[in-house]
Amino acid sequence: MATAPAPASLHECPVVESRTVGAYHLVSFVASGIADASLPGQFVMVRQAGPALDPLLPRPMGIHDIDSDLVKVLIEPVGKGTVYLSQAKVGDRFSVLGPLGNGFDLEGSGPALVIGGGVGVAPLALLAKRLVERGRPVRCLLGFKTRVQAVVTELFGEVEVDICTEDGTMGQRAVVSELLAGCLEELGPEAATAQIFACGPDGMLKAVTGASHGCGADAQVSVAAHMACGVGACQGCVVKVGGEYRRACSEGPVFPAGELEW
Amino acid sequence: MVDRLSTSIGPLELGHPIINASGTFDVLEADRVLDTDLIEDFPFAAYVPKTVTPKARTGNRPPRLYETAAGLLNSIGLANKGIEAFVSEDLPRLASLDVPLIASVAGERIEDYGECVRMLDGCSEVDAIELNVSCPNVELDGMALGCDPERTREATALARQLTDKPLLVKLTPNVTDIVATARAAVAGGADCISAINTVNGMALDPWSLEPALGHVTGGLSGPAIKPVALRAVYLISRELDIPVIAMGGATTAIDILEFLAAGARAVAIGTATFRDPRLAEQLAGELDELMDQRGITSVEELSGRAHRD
Repeated sequence: MATAPAPASLHECPVVESRTVGAYHLVSFVASGIADASLPGQFVMVRQAGPALDPLLPRPMGIHDIDSDLVKVLIEPVGKGTVYLSQAKVGDRFSVLGPLGNGFDLEGSGPALVIGGGVGVAPLALLAKRLVERGRPVRCLLGFKTRVQAVVTELFGEVEVDICTEDGTMGQRAVVSELLAGCLEELGPEAATAQIFACGPDGMLKAVTGASHGCGADAQVSVAAHMACGVGACQGCVVKVGGEYRRACSEGPVFPAGELEW
Repeated sequence: MVDRLSTSIGPLELGHPIINASGTFDVLEADRVLDTDLIEDFPFAAYVPKTVTPKARTGNRPPRLYETAAGLLNSIGLANKGIEAFVSEDLPRLASLDVPLIASVAGERIEDYGECVRMLDGCSEVDAIELNVSCPNVELDGMALGCDPERTREATALARQLTDKPLLVKLTPNVTDIVATARAAVAGGADCISAINTVNGMALDPWSLEPALGHVTGGLSGPAIKPVALRAVYLISRELDIPVIAMGGATTAIDILEFLAAGARAVAIGTATFRDPRLAEQLAGELDELMDQRGITSVEELSGRAHRD
């Protein structure tokens, strides 16, 4: 990766914002040591501070956005840990380890295509912001099942996004890989110089990988995995990359799309 | 503080009784990723790296982790780089650690333990060797070696022939009588017992109702298993004259205090480290206070005070 990640550190961080955004929950906490060092695509390990033993372990959360000394994460309450974190109140304290993992490689000059699906859009807001700051032409294509999820795109602020939903309740009625196919077609021969950044469910990442192969574009995908340590020790979060198990936490979570085995 | 907390495991002198459990803390990785200098300023009183086997192992298919009520299920499958790479790549980098290094070894056959111990015997960086007998054994149709006391004795005796370094045997709790396995390890020449490894378990994904782990079953760790570990430590240390290192869910300084009172000479923390990589330091400080409040002047005085005939 172009920029070497800064060392991670453990902080107790006060929650200053906690609100529902459609199907998801946005939590912002003060973490100056982490905010300064965070790169797009990196993640933090987050749990409620304190002695409670259930939920036991921190959860990996992609860094959704940075606003001076605030770190923002976007939570989909699906399991015990994420439900608990999404109930955070202003004034609660999070125990946060980060920033962790290798982020996206932003070096390049061609068109940047940012592709997200479901809660996988979480780390793409910071990515899109950084790409725009670099003066890169950016297209953001975000897909959801339905409107209650798609309203999260309001968090993308200035960045222009194309939205699709499977039921057509917001944006186009399509899946995001169809939007990507259309976009690559529009680009024509220029598609081969495009740089694709993707995060979302496996099926979507697979389709994005196929599309990038088809046109010769470079593609990086961020994978999700259950994690325990977050720092490469426990070998729990492996995914198959280039024929070998690699740790999503310390060797990922961003991998070259072509090397992932599904 | 130093005097009250110091302890020993055979010839190994420890500054405090808290070490790490094998497989839960990788000092080389953590030192690379975290902002604190973990090699020069190591939080544990001894270091136990991840178990190594004669040949590299890729490990089990993912998902390998699933959190349960106050516990963690894992099915890593002893993924490791193999003993040769461990000796040539990792050991030189661990030479500057200023705490005892306890290498952990396992294998699918009894001879595998011999092969690992033979290699480690000549390594000056290694202060002691832990035999992890929870690895599925091909000679026992995939049952863990540690489920068979006689095989546990054989593996320990083989290792004993090959090294004068202190030998620890880490027992599995997935047996009817863990004291019998501990007794077999002692008969084979063990210097110390580590108890316990993870407890067999499984979980289902609540949505799909499929097994949550790729390997279907796994080993449970974390606070959920502490009473199981406490009982094992209590029984082994009461029945046998051998130092015991306790492990299994220790998370707080009170847990450490209890394990010591149950008969341990040291306590390993594992899953709790995932909540805070430097937790051991904090617990050592808190343990010192707890002992002071209770008028306990040494680990030796505390160790086994809960024993009843």
